[in-house]
Amino acid sequence: MTETILGIWDNQVICTPRPEDEASGITKLAELREYAPGNPVYAVMGWDGYFIYDQAHVDVVDMARAYMEVVQGESCGKCVPCRMGTRVAADLLTRIAEGRGAQEDLDSLRKVADVVSQGSLCELGHSALCAVIDLLNQHPDEFQRTVTEGIRHPRGTYHTKVTAPCVEACPERLDIPRYIEMIKAGHYPESLEVIEEKNPLAAVCGRVCVRFCEFACRRGKLDDPISIKHLKRFVSDVRLDAAVKIMPDKVHVVPDAPLVAVIGAGPAGVTAAYHLLRKGYPVEIFEASGAAGGMAVWGIPDYRLPRDVVRSEVEIITSMGAIIHYNQRLGRDFSIADLKARGFKAVFVAIGAQLGTGLRIPGEEPAPEGYLPGIEFLHKVNAGEAVKAGDSAVIVGGGNVAMDCCRSALRLGIRQVHLVYRRGREEMPADKLEVHDAEEEGIIFHMQCNPTRLITENGKLTGVECVRMILGEPDATGRRRPVPQEGSEFIIPCDMLFPAIGQRIDTSCLADDGASLDVTKHGTVAADDDTLLTSEEGVFAGGDCVSGPATLIQAMAAGLRASNSIDQYLKQGYVSLSDDERMSRVYRAVMAVDEDSVQRLGGAARKEVTLRPVKERVDDFDEVEQGLSPEDALLEADRCLRCYRILLVATDK
Amino acid sequence: MVTLRTKELRRIHLTLDGKPVLARSGQTILDVARENDVYIPTLCYSDKLRPLGTCRMCLVEIEGTAMPVTSCTTPVSEGMVVHTDTANLDNLRRENLKLILTRHPYNCPSCDINGACELQDLVYRYDISHQDMHAYQIKPADFGETPWATPLITYHPRRCILCGRCVSACTEIAEVGVLAYKGRGSDTIIASTEPNEFGRECISCGECLASCPVDALVEANGQPKGKAWETKKVKTICTYCGTGCELILNVSGNKVTHVSPSRGGVNQGALCAKGRFGYDFINHKDRLRSPMIRRDGYWEEVNWDVALDYVADKFAAIKQREGADALAGLSSARCTNEENYLFQKLFRGVLGTNNVDHCARL
Ligand SMILES: Cc1cc2nc3c(=O)[nH]c(=O)nc-3n(C[C@H](O)[C@H](O)[C@H](O)COP(=O)(O)OP(=O)(O)OC[C@H]3O[C@@H](n4cnc5c(N)ncnc54)[C@H](O)[C@@H]3O)c2cc1C
Ligand code: SF4
Ligand code: SF4
Ligand code: SF4
Ligand code: SF4
Ligand code: FES
Repeated sequence: MTETILGIWDNQVICTPRPEDEASGITKLAELREYAPGNPVYAVMGWDGYFIYDQAHVDVVDMARAYMEVVQGESCGKCVPCRMGTRVAADLLTRIAEGRGAQEDLDSLRKVADVVSQGSLCELGHSALCAVIDLLNQHPDEFQRTVTEGIRHPRGTYHTKVTAPCVEACPERLDIPRYIEMIKAGHYPESLEVIEEKNPLAAVCGRVCVRFCEFACRRGKLDDPISIKHLKRFVSDVRLDAAVKIMPDKVHVVPDAPLVAVIGAGPAGVTAAYHLLRKGYPVEIFEASGAAGGMAVWGIPDYRLPRDVVRSEVEIITSMGAIIHYNQRLGRDFSIADLKARGFKAVFVAIGAQLGTGLRIPGEEPAPEGYLPGIEFLHKVNAGEAVKAGDSAVIVGGGNVAMDCCRSALRLGIRQVHLVYRRGREEMPADKLEVHDAEEEGIIFHMQCNPTRLITENGKLTGVECVRMILGEPDATGRRRPVPQEGSEFIIPCDMLFPAIGQRIDTSCLADDGASLDVTKHGTVAADDDTLLTSEEGVFAGGDCVSGPATLIQAMAAGLRASNSIDQYLKQGYVSLSDDERMSRVYRAVMAVDEDSVQRLGGAARKEVTLRPVKERVDDFDEVEQGLSPEDALLEADRCLRCYRILLVATDK
Repeated sequence: MVTLRTKELRRIHLTLDGKPVLARSGQTILDVARENDVYIPTLCYSDKLRPLGTCRMCLVEIEGTAMPVTSCTTPVSEGMVVHTDTANLDNLRRENLKLILTRHPYNCPSCDINGACELQDLVYRYDISHQDMHAYQIKPADFGETPWATPLITYHPRRCILCGRCVSACTEIAEVGVLAYKGRGSDTIIASTEPNEFGRECISCGECLASCPVDALVEANGQPKGKAWETKKVKTICTYCGTGCELILNVSGNKVTHVSPSRGGVNQGALCAKGRFGYDFINHKDRLRSPMIRRDGYWEEVNWDVALDYVADKFAAIKQREGADALAGLSSARCTNEENYLFQKLFRGVLGTNNVDHCARL
């Protein structure tokens, strides 16, 4: 295959992939052939260059004009070079593309590009004209001919998207730079509005989200990422702390809108209901337990996420008009077929992953006194049920649930709390901050150990035998698996043990249903990745019950996507990807070749929140992390670079 | 243990245009440049506000940093080597000014602020003329109706350079926070936000107007004419209430053309709507200029001697007939402390009654 130039990115020439480029970013980029079924991609233009897939169908002059018009329409208007410079550039390109341009206009374009890229305040401006200049350099003849011969360029078809790395990393794609911008301006209610466009549980996420966005934040390349989570908490607390609670009004349900049922009032279910209501559908939620919030109330302990916070945010959907039927369990009290018979035209299944996973070691069955799956232990603690505190507890696992079990056990007054994990500390899937806080509180860590046997006496747990693990041969994934080191067994005396090594989905409630929902070989509900459609007509599923145990924001993103799918399904009878989602695919393909560097001056340190002192906090379940002060929130918001990026795709239609 | 509070105030050594200078931590490059008499053009900067970084006129270069940075927002750090005056910077600043002018009317003669306009000063300094603007012709924007938050202030979007000072003044000085950027790209304007659940509402204080570097915010009720170079600046104290805010009257001929904030005083330049806009009474045609006595139902102008004799006689007669407590004195908030002191002295010591009061505020 001959090597042809695909385009320019980061000032690098990108060629079509050669055989040795297999599995490289370029291949991934080159595979981006279709924007939508039957709609080929002709070219992509972005913040750092462009790619042309089909020369014959691409008009570079028109594409440059189209790109500039989008940029001008997105410039926030604050700084001069971007606000006026991109206007000048857009008008110059319009003049040129309409065949009215002159040689001088091409020079002016370069001149203004220089001011805009060097002088702008934020990353949108810095990157605004980068690709236009690349086009000008690579296709000088087209531009030259246009101005000398006065060629008119008809307008092509383009799809565009304005996004940012943090936004794309967020499963729900919250407009992060925008709500940060509002905080900078001191306009907190407007900031919250931006979040609530998508996320009804701002105060919940502001406390316990795992922060995909912060890991993608470009400020992290300079010093430390923006404290996005705490900024979110900051604006949502403004409402929580307000003297007069203002709740949204009941939404106007569209007359004759079909009824929608949601099963499970966890983050996925609540988010789906929220968006369905906003779209005008009447929604009823069927929840097995006596409270809404799912794992946010039954799993996550109060010292990280106070119950009242979840309750007041869940109230948002009831005040909007959602009806929640509590103590209604699918499989026991009703079936999906029942719901259909009762007139529900679409159903969203969001039952989470509720069952604990056992250790599969001797002594577990029948369960001795003192043994409880971690998830059930937390459920009891959160439900306020009496848990008789022993002297010493062992928690098995390395994830967030394990951390929650450890720290909750400590707060119940258990004097010694041990954590047993089979890999090393660096490999613990739990949030690094959680691990740090747990250790600070005095949890005893046993790394590279695995339980082998429970020791019981008269049906009561008295200890656990563990073995040290060493790294064995790399497995298929190339990761070296820990294997037991013979003869290294030792015993940790304990009267309580909580395995927290995973959760399963209780798919038994789907059996014996008139409807037939397929289950995957991993024991999760089978649903399409993009549309969340299940094997049953009109039934969608998402959240932990589809993904397996994951995170709040992923579950909420599933809820949002389900609401879109259901809306499409009810309106047009079929479900397809939205433009926004298609553009995100393009974004990911482009990111495969993007080697980002941040050409800015860092310095201002990230504002950290204060934690209650260890001595004080280990005795109660009151919140550990305190929010940002208004002063700190402002300083933190000021650190955001506003890495808005504009992506344009030229297609056939 | 003694905590070293001085830790916050470190000395910082940097090089400014080739000269070694000493700075304090926390200062910005602009602060240090001004302290050392190095000129850096600014437009959105105001020492009363947090730096905004929007106008991009104050760009400087720092060795080792790929892109120029704004000196008003960049804190100094140890060993920084700063250039404030290079060919690239000069070009960027000129082009930037030209970009501002693409949407700014060349209409200085009809502006009240003519002669005290920060944009005008820069255009003059950088010698920008019509010919320079040739390459940057853009299609005119239609801003439509752009009502400001208050009937006392008029906003001219075309003159506005969107520096954002008014927005910050409203938040930081007035602590009201009703203003925001509205719209996108070259059609952006400044507008008041919708009243919301938190009850933000404009209080017409005019801090926005006072902070505007150009003539984009002007008094809606019109003001007497008088160019900056024709007016006398008289520092005085506001007479509306007991706070005693300092302000400056701009006087042309014998007319007050407008009130501008002074730097000092208890108010540090801040004023309320009355102090800032309520000066038209000074030259008002209905203002009393001499004492008057009503005789046979008609007001008659008299001189002070006649007026004072008249009241003194009446006071004496009432006191004799009904006793001193039949008299009462009400003084005005527009008098000074000293005048009010004398007033109560007159009533207590001379007339012999404790019936004195004061209208407290206007
Ligand atoms: C201890 C713990 C700590 C966690 N910490 C974090 C964290 O810090 N950050 C983070 O992002 N994520 C965390 N997670 C993960 C997060 O809570 C979940 O990913 C998220 O709650 C999943 O949402 P969901 O709506 O899919 O399911 P769930 O939250 O599990 O909600 C499912 C709902 O369905 C109901 N239900 C179940 N079965 C039925 C049925 N048959 N009929 C009717 N209703 C039913 C349940 O009662 C529940 O209300 C944590 C999870 C646990 C367990
Ligand atoms: S988007 Fe950024 S670069 Fe553009 S005007 Fe606003 S601040 Fe300036
Ligand atoms: S600096 Fe701001 S815009 Fe850029 S990635 Fe971080 S949060 Fe997003
Ligand atoms: S008059 Fe005062 S309150 Fe009103 S917008 Fe201006 S600064 Fe804000
Ligand atoms: S009105 Fe004046 S202060 Fe406000 S942004 Fe425009 S120029 Fe700046
Ligand atoms: S003065 Fe620094 S950006 Fe305006």
